[in-house]
Amino acid sequence: MDRQQEYVLRAMEERDISFIRLWFTDVLGILKSVAIAPAELEGAFAEGIGFDGSAIEGFTRVYEADMVAMPDPTTFQLLPWHGDRHGTARMFCDILTPAGDPSPADPRYVLKRALKRASDMGFSFYTHPEIEFYLFKSGTGRSTNPLVPLDSGGYFDHTARGTTNDFRRVAIEMLEAMGISVEFSHHEAGPGQNEIDLRYADALTMADNIMTFRSVVKEAALSEGVFASFMPKPMARFPGSGMHTHFSLFEGDRNAFFDADAEYELSKTARGFMAGVLHYSRDICLVTNQFVNSYKRLWGGAEAPNYVCWGHNNRSALLRVPMYKPGKPQTARVEFRGMDSAVNPYLAFAAILSAGLKGIEEDLPLPAEAEDDVWALTDAERRALGIQPLPRSLDEAVLIMSESELAAETLGEHVFEFVLRNKRQEWNEYRAQVTAYELERFLPIL
Amino acid sequence: MAAANSPGPRGRVRSATGDLVRIGFADAARAVRCLEELAEAGLELDPPDLAAVADPDLALLALTRIAGAQDGGAALKTLWADRRAVLRLLAVLGGSAALGDHLVRHPEHLRALAEADILADADADADAGAPEPGPEPTRRQLAFRSALLEAVGADPAAAVPVAASPEPEPLRLAYRRALLRIAAEDLASAAPEQLFPRVASDLADLATAVLEGALAVARAGVDGHEQARLAVIAMGKTGGRELNYVSDVDVVYVAEPASPAVAEADALAVATQLASGLQRVTFGPANEPVIWQVDPNLRPEGKNGPLVRTLDSHLAYYRKWAKTWEFQALLKARPAAGDMALGRAYHDATRNFVWNAVESDNFVEDAQAMRRRVEENVPAAEAERQIKLGRGGLRDVEFTVQLLQLVHGRADPSIRAATTLTALEALRDGGYVGRQAAGRLADCYRLARTLEHRLQLHRLKRTHLMPTAAADLTRLARAARIVPAEGAELGKTWLATRREVRSLHEELYYRPLLPATAKLSAGEATLLPGAARSRLAALGYRHPDGAMRHIAALTSGVTRQSAIQRQLLPVMLGWFADGADPDAGLLSFRQLSEALGSTHWYLRLLRDSAGAAERLSHALAASKYVAQNLARSPESVRWLDSDRDLAPREPDQLRGELAAVVERRESVEAAGTAVRGLRRRELTRLATGMALGLLDDGAARFAVSSSAAVAVGAVLELAVKAQISEDGEQLANLAVIAMGSFGGREMAISSDADVLFVHRPRLGADETAAQSQAEAIARQVRGLVGGIGPEPGVELDVDLRPEGRSGPLTRSVDAYREYYARWALTWERQALLRARPLAGDRELAQAFMAVADPVRYRPGGLSQGELKDLRLLKARIEGERLPRGVEPSRHVKLGPGGLLDVQWVAQLYQLRHAGATPALRVTGTVEALQAAAAAELMDPADAAILVESWMQAMSIRNANVLWTGRLGPSSDVVPSDPRHLRGVAGLMGYARGDSANLTEDRARVARRARQVFNRLFYT
Repeated sequence: MDRQQEYVLRAMEERDISFIRLWFTDVLGILKSVAIAPAELEGAFAEGIGFDGSAIEGFTRVYEADMVAMPDPTTFQLLPWHGDRHGTARMFCDILTPAGDPSPADPRYVLKRALKRASDMGFSFYTHPEIEFYLFKSGTGRSTNPLVPLDSGGYFDHTARGTTNDFRRVAIEMLEAMGISVEFSHHEAGPGQNEIDLRYADALTMADNIMTFRSVVKEAALSEGVFASFMPKPMARFPGSGMHTHFSLFEGDRNAFFDADAEYELSKTARGFMAGVLHYSRDICLVTNQFVNSYKRLWGGAEAPNYVCWGHNNRSALLRVPMYKPGKPQTARVEFRGMDSAVNPYLAFAAILSAGLKGIEEDLPLPAEAEDDVWALTDAERRALGIQPLPRSLDEAVLIMSESELAAETLGEHVFEFVLRNKRQEWNEYRAQVTAYELERFLPIL
Repeated sequence: MAAANSPGPRGRVRSATGDLVRIGFADAARAVRCLEELAEAGLELDPPDLAAVADPDLALLALTRIAGAQDGGAALKTLWADRRAVLRLLAVLGGSAALGDHLVRHPEHLRALAEADILADADADADAGAPEPGPEPTRRQLAFRSALLEAVGADPAAAVPVAASPEPEPLRLAYRRALLRIAAEDLASAAPEQLFPRVASDLADLATAVLEGALAVARAGVDGHEQARLAVIAMGKTGGRELNYVSDVDVVYVAEPASPAVAEADALAVATQLASGLQRVTFGPANEPVIWQVDPNLRPEGKNGPLVRTLDSHLAYYRKWAKTWEFQALLKARPAAGDMALGRAYHDATRNFVWNAVESDNFVEDAQAMRRRVEENVPAAEAERQIKLGRGGLRDVEFTVQLLQLVHGRADPSIRAATTLTALEALRDGGYVGRQAAGRLADCYRLARTLEHRLQLHRLKRTHLMPTAAADLTRLARAARIVPAEGAELGKTWLATRREVRSLHEELYYRPLLPATAKLSAGEATLLPGAARSRLAALGYRHPDGAMRHIAALTSGVTRQSAIQRQLLPVMLGWFADGADPDAGLLSFRQLSEALGSTHWYLRLLRDSAGAAERLSHALAASKYVAQNLARSPESVRWLDSDRDLAPREPDQLRGELAAVVERRESVEAAGTAVRGLRRRELTRLATGMALGLLDDGAARFAVSSSAAVAVGAVLELAVKAQISEDGEQLANLAVIAMGSFGGREMAISSDADVLFVHRPRLGADETAAQSQAEAIARQVRGLVGGIGPEPGVELDVDLRPEGRSGPLTRSVDAYREYYARWALTWERQALLRARPLAGDRELAQAFMAVADPVRYRPGGLSQGELKDLRLLKARIEGERLPRGVEPSRHVKLGPGGLLDVQWVAQLYQLRHAGATPALRVTGTVEALQAAAAAELMDPADAAILVESWMQAMSIRNANVLWTGRLGPSSDVVPSDPRHLRGVAGLMGYARGDSANLTEDRARVARRARQVFNRLFYT
């Protein structure tokens, strides 16, 4: 750590950096940034940077409004889109109260607390997200100005028109320049839709990476004259943007999910974890799918997983166990397919981890594997099989989470209360809208 | 006994068995056989030579085994001419089974016993525990170093000695041989406690020589070792030159590239190899037993940090990240082996951190936390037997000395020694601790260390536990030369020592804070103002200057009072420091003492009752409310001596006392004042009990309510009498009905008292005249109970009467009946649920209850319309009354899941079901909920959640009042200011440092209660 601070201070001089952006994330997962001059950095390391939290979503009313952002030097990176001369660098911050305690409103702290619980049980937590998003040439999505996707390619298409490829190259170069390893990228099913997979990392690093990733993608798109969006379901006719994420727990160097002798090579720990995630998936849906629009993705068809079940090679399952690669016990993992790309990664990882740990602790039984395509079943068949749906709307998700002890315990009372309040308000505002659909459908005939 | 049954072959020996038993042999017969066997081998022994040996049986057996071993007999014979060597050998064999085994395997080491004394060496006195490691090693250090380096085939004169081979065995053998010499002299000493400092410093010097030797061996196994300069820094007891026989050796590694041509990363890689190699040499698998484990975990970032760092990297860590305990550990750092220039550079560069640690923001909390860890880390079963850990253990002594060094060493370089005893002497010489106290502490420390050494020597095992078996205790006593050498005696000595160490704390920490004018004897120390300021700040006083003024005022002078306070204050200063607000505690104590000093019982009480002084200190530092009230009625201090006096008074007892008090007063006003005074006194009693954790919340609520009830009763009687004498006749009888939390007997200290007045015109009296007389009396009662005057009153709130504020102050029973029959609103029925007779005409009160019962306990419960009205009313007032700017979840009364939510659920159930279920006809909220659960009207789990929230809210209210001394509405809010939160959480039993949990706990409990409320109340 000390080396890190020194390294940062030295790098500042060597690389001619004229601004430092201190990044943190509000409760809704929106990136916030405070810029400071290099001269202030040493002080910032020692005492943090004070700011007024009252205008930040979710930070209000905790110990009055004063907050301290304490930069984490291990997260120091140059921002590649600011050029080489007079560059800009960023660090993520922990948010503290003026007394120096972690602020209960800081999503990073929520995740750290959950990770601490895992580490008390001897686990470290790794994640590997596949992030989908759309690229648009223009448009706002209103009927007068429809969205124009960048291309009309499909899954894994190599688009002849170069912009998409250029964009991916620029974005991936920027990500790699910031130390974020990209494992895989390809065109997704929707027109202009892309997917980029990040190489697995511990959950805190990955949450930071995802926040960075969104900025990088937006910057790279702008540099190519297009714009990128992580909105869960921007166009009704095309698939939404999910963030399928692979999870695994390690005990030291050993993958705790792996057991050579068990079915699918899944250890008892893995089964407990899966049982917990499934059992609580409805409780934490408001966190994994946090916007009104998220439920358009879940319930808008196009292969979004909306029923609580697991399967081996079952695309309809919420939780999927990927095929085990012989000889690679370290890669044993489970894939949670519910989350969308607009998630607050800190809170979502914390919630999924807590749900999984609860499953392990309480020895929850793992339901039978879903072998059918659950979308093809009738409601009665699903009921008979004990397969529950995820919440059908933000409203239902709020209702379910408000009764959840697990969610309250994971988020802490402050964030829990804020999220519920904020989401109730969002639902109320949404409900008051008259949509283009209604106008087109009803105006002519009524 | 064995001796008596075993006839020996020869008469001479048989007659000696008695002597053998007296000497301490357990198995005299076997001893006889061994002695014979040895004599036959030409090794004659005079049994009295074994008299001073710890375990004569063990010694003799081991000797026999050595004699029987290959080369053993010959080696013994060579030694036998040297009587001094033989005595040493016997001492070793009796004191250490492990060294005996070693000699059986390596009889050639017997020769070591014949070598010259090392401990009595000329410069021993000079360098045992020199204040700071000098740049030049002592002759003794050099001797150990040469011996061990030569043993591994390295050249002691070389700048970078390299061993002949990477095998660890030669070093391990040489270590045992040197250890044997130290142990022999130590065990043969008649005064081991006096010899202890030199034994400990020699063990440390031997350890550093081992480190040097092990490094030389490691170099032999690492190619390119010359690329790195590696310094091994000794920490802990090795660094302090006060090592024990078996212990981990704490080290830190520093490395630099050997030349500019070597890259830092390469140098660090080589150095890391060397360091791990060194650790394998002392502790890895090999054909000779391990030496000891090298423990490098005091390094920056502990286990997770790199094993080796550059000097700059160390310094950067200490600049930014290190915690107080790490600086405390650095205090003992000493360059031990490897590149000494680099080691010294490390040492010099880190001194600044050590001696400025006291400046850091968290020093006080850290030091307190460390102190707690000293006390808490011991399993209860072992606590009494622990020599090292726990209260009064060795760690406790070391911690005390180090803390004082950290506090005062910043300004005074003379007390910076790394050795505990040397540092203690320096603290004494510098006037930081009293002479006698320092001497006694040193004695305790020597004794404990000697016992520890003897215990460890026996099997060369790392142990810090006093044995329990009688034989083991006796051997230990003999080994340590405790007189008389009996196990039971030793047990007692040890316990007394532990206790003494504890009691010395006060002398060491606090007594020197007293000004020079307050010295009781020449052996005591007085800190200079600067030092006193540092020490007070380190103890947690926020305003040391103010504290010093109070201390001076309390202890200066020649009066008997100041003499007693000089005795009391040191220990009280420690108790204040344990509380949430030490400054306030001290100030309040001064005020109290100034008010009460001349009172004959006051000081005697504090002096003679340790309990009273401790309770007073804790209460004053924890509660401003108690401090204010004790200052108003100093006589209350007396209660502190007795649990009975701090328990609430029975209502009947209070009533009797009040009757007498009222009787004696001339005017109504004076009598009213006396009544209020009595109530205040009772509140003081309750508050003190609560602040000290003697009184549970339920009992406190009951007692607050009953003291108010007694006061209202007395005042009503007064007012009636006064009015009659004014009007000439009594026109009406009066009764007071308690309502609200008063009716529920659930008052907090800050609660108002809700009441109703009811009257009945006397037979033949004019109704209007009766009404006006009754109203006059009611007004008088309110005035006297809540009046402005020398004693604080309690507001009698009468807003729950029919028509509220616009209604008459009192009504006749008939008027109530008529009103309720015609107009009763749901909220009025709800309010009546808590009505109970309080004072005045008993029959009248019963008549009122007879009116109230059918209204509140209506057989049909609530109609749908009424139910709707009630829900609507609650929904309307929800949040409306919350003060602006308060986070709702922090408001324990009006916030979600708060007191009101819980009350309304209870009352809803009563209104609906009390008609049919008489068990619900109670006035208390908790009682009602529990009755509803018992009657299976409510899920017991729901009731439990509501009750928990209600109880917690009430505790927070009382704790707020106790902490701030203020009764206002702010007591309904969980404080957000961290200091207030700490105070309140402390009163609620949260550990220091856990106060943020109170916020989270309240939010959780209230959220759950709100969920239950939503379910039970609105649906």
